[in-house]
Amino acid sequence: MTAPALELSHVTKTYGDFTAVNDLSLSVPTGCVYGFLGPNGAGKTTSLRMILEIIRPTSGTITVLGSTSALAVRGRIGYLPEEKGLYKKMKAWAIIAYFATLKGMSRRAAKARAYELLKRYGLADFAEARTEALSKGMGQKVQVLAAIAHDPEFVILDEPFSGLDPVNQTVMEEIITDLRARGHTVIFSTHVMAHAERLCDRLAIIAKGRKLFDGTPEEARQMLPRRVQLLTDDGIAPLRDLPTVSAISSTANGAWQIELRAGADVQAILQACFTHNIRPRGFRFDEPTLHDVFVQLVGPDAKEATHR
Amino acid sequence: MRYAFLIAWREFAENAKTKGFWLSLLIFPAILTLSIQVPILLEKKGTPTRHFVIADASGEFAPLIALTIEREQTERAEQALRDFVRRGKYPESLSRFVHSDHTLDLAGWKAGQGANYLKVPGFVAPHPRFRLVALPEGVSPNAAPDLAAQQLRPWLRGERQLSVDGQPAPLFAAVLLAAELPLAATTGAASKGIHYWSENLADTALADLVEHTINTELRRRAYVAHGLDPATVREVERIKAPLTSFNPKKAAGEETVGMADRIRQWLPSLFVYLLWVAIFSIAQMLLTSVIEEKSNRIIEVLLSSVTPGELMVGKLAGIAAIGLTMLGVWVASLVAIVLWKSLGVSPEAAAAAGGMAGIPGDVATILRTTWLLPAFAVYFLLGFLFYSGLILALGSTCNTLKEAQSFMGVIVLLLMVPLLMMTYIPRDPNGTLATTLSWFPPYTPFVMMNRVTADPPLRDVLGTMALLLVCTGFVLWGSGRIFRRGILRTGQPPELLELLKWLRR
Repeated sequence: MTAPALELSHVTKTYGDFTAVNDLSLSVPTGCVYGFLGPNGAGKTTSLRMILEIIRPTSGTITVLGSTSALAVRGRIGYLPEEKGLYKKMKAWAIIAYFATLKGMSRRAAKARAYELLKRYGLADFAEARTEALSKGMGQKVQVLAAIAHDPEFVILDEPFSGLDPVNQTVMEEIITDLRARGHTVIFSTHVMAHAERLCDRLAIIAKGRKLFDGTPEEARQMLPRRVQLLTDDGIAPLRDLPTVSAISSTANGAWQIELRAGADVQAILQACFTHNIRPRGFRFDEPTLHDVFVQLVGPDAKEATHR
Repeated sequence: MRYAFLIAWREFAENAKTKGFWLSLLIFPAILTLSIQVPILLEKKGTPTRHFVIADASGEFAPLIALTIEREQTERAEQALRDFVRRGKYPESLSRFVHSDHTLDLAGWKAGQGANYLKVPGFVAPHPRFRLVALPEGVSPNAAPDLAAQQLRPWLRGERQLSVDGQPAPLFAAVLLAAELPLAATTGAASKGIHYWSENLADTALADLVEHTINTELRRRAYVAHGLDPATVREVERIKAPLTSFNPKKAAGEETVGMADRIRQWLPSLFVYLLWVAIFSIAQMLLTSVIEEKSNRIIEVLLSSVTPGELMVGKLAGIAAIGLTMLGVWVASLVAIVLWKSLGVSPEAAAAAGGMAGIPGDVATILRTTWLLPAFAVYFLLGFLFYSGLILALGSTCNTLKEAQSFMGVIVLLLMVPLLMMTYIPRDPNGTLATTLSWFPPYTPFVMMNRVTADPPLRDVLGTMALLLVCTGFVLWGSGRIFRRGILRTGQPPELLELLKWLRR
């Protein structure tokens, strides 16, 4: 197994009395798309800034691409910050090329690359436009392109989807999957679970600066009990005694909600129905979603979300 | 270093693309050219001949004034002829009377030509400044001032025009003289003897001329009345012992204070102005540049690629390059215009014309022979770095230009002091005020630039330079620290105490 692209070990960042990130440890394998989930003010941006060495952690160590200094490997890292902004008077291609040169590309190569990217992502007509003339979505796309123009092997995207319309959200997803297809590592933060669910190989959920979960989406979903909804006119008393069932409750629409123990097989419920002559009029099984997991894990925190 | 250079290059290129930059590049040479050319043009064409009338109740002075006006016009025409010859494009007929140094033997030429000596092909004599014309009909030449003023009022107020050579012309002024002018030294009621009426109060040339003519005549008469010979008196009045300035610090035989010495004394002031303008011209650019990146959060992308130190150095270098380019163009255009104006004028002729054109040569000599230039370069650089570091650090703590402007107010006030002091320091370059101010690092570059030509004590030169060097280093170091923190900060600008804390950690 190759070394992880990123490793955080007991990282803490305090601002006076306020702890923005508290004893955070995680590991991002090379070539994986890693979701960084959490409510507003959870410490996502602070963590990403520390990874990039924009700010220094109060304690703990961070290893990026095998180096303890992100600046030492800056040419291999791409970064899209949460708040998007561009130099208003610069042309779209010039900004992309400028940021690429700051990552170590030669000026000539950076210019060619800028035009190529703008063409590939449908902005060829705007290459010569000043960024102040671009719409918000286009501007954001230009910024994403600027972040990946030097073809970094490790890309950090802070809220890449915010402010994009559905079409451009799809383009953003494409960009991420393109990067993964070429074996690059991507970390992105979001609080929109649908994106995380579709894109992430692994994810971490943090709230109030603490890590609440770290693993694959599948592992995340397994944290919640699986539920089956059963609609029947027969008595369901026999099901209560099944070892796989942890609880049964009635729902508003007259159906029964059966909660299964972890690792239980849904088929066992149907089988039991046959055995005990319970005739289902309706049977529905929903996998828990990341959304459910997220709300379950950070729900109370998210409501009283504090902001620095 | 490569990254700082990239930052600097972008700052330079982006600022150089702005209209404001090109406007400020062009505006200085444009103003300079205009301020030289416009008075010349006005002199040539602008001011028309001004017509005036005299009502002289005494009947004694009008001819005298007419004579003075005529003499003045002749002198101007002769001077113009000399200038014409000096420019070298005179006809063959004249060449016999031109000396090798391009001066005209006017007396010789005049003797040969007689009354027509001003009618030279290619030469146009300047039109007269003033012309005495006859009083309008109905105004008596011998009327008392009060009556004459009343009668002339429509012309004086521009309601009626004179008729000069059949053409209408406005009346510029009326000189009204009472029948009796005072013969004793006196002021008061009798001083109303000469009445000068004109709507134009700014141009006093005619009034001065009239006053001088009449008073000279009155004095002449008084001398006669006292039994003195006017010719003798004139002889006596011509006695004059010339005053020559000497500088005790110069070697024996070279003590005379000449043009070069005056330039040497005032050239530093020019450099001080240059530093001042340089700081101000880049202050705005520095602030805008930092605050744009901060408010757009571009700063985060930048800081993921470069260190705050590289960013700061790059910014300083890029914007300094812009400021210095501007300054360079200004200085170059100044030199070019001065050279152009003095082109084709030999130093001797220039000296004859008032010494103005000899200045470029003098300046060049001074710059070559003294260590003025290297000293200025050092003070300029240190002063420039000192203030730009300060401005950059302040800018980094602000989120909007508005916030930054209030900080700038303080810096502007701080910078006003050396400018105000500049009048006094060259007069006493090694006095208490100058010495004290030069030990205050923010003012060291300004004050020392002014003192450096006055041979200040070596202790002052080396001491203040060392202190300034240390302070500039400290300012840049501290700015780096404040910049590093300020640049990522959002919300209220920090309090002074907090800034000090940033410096410590």
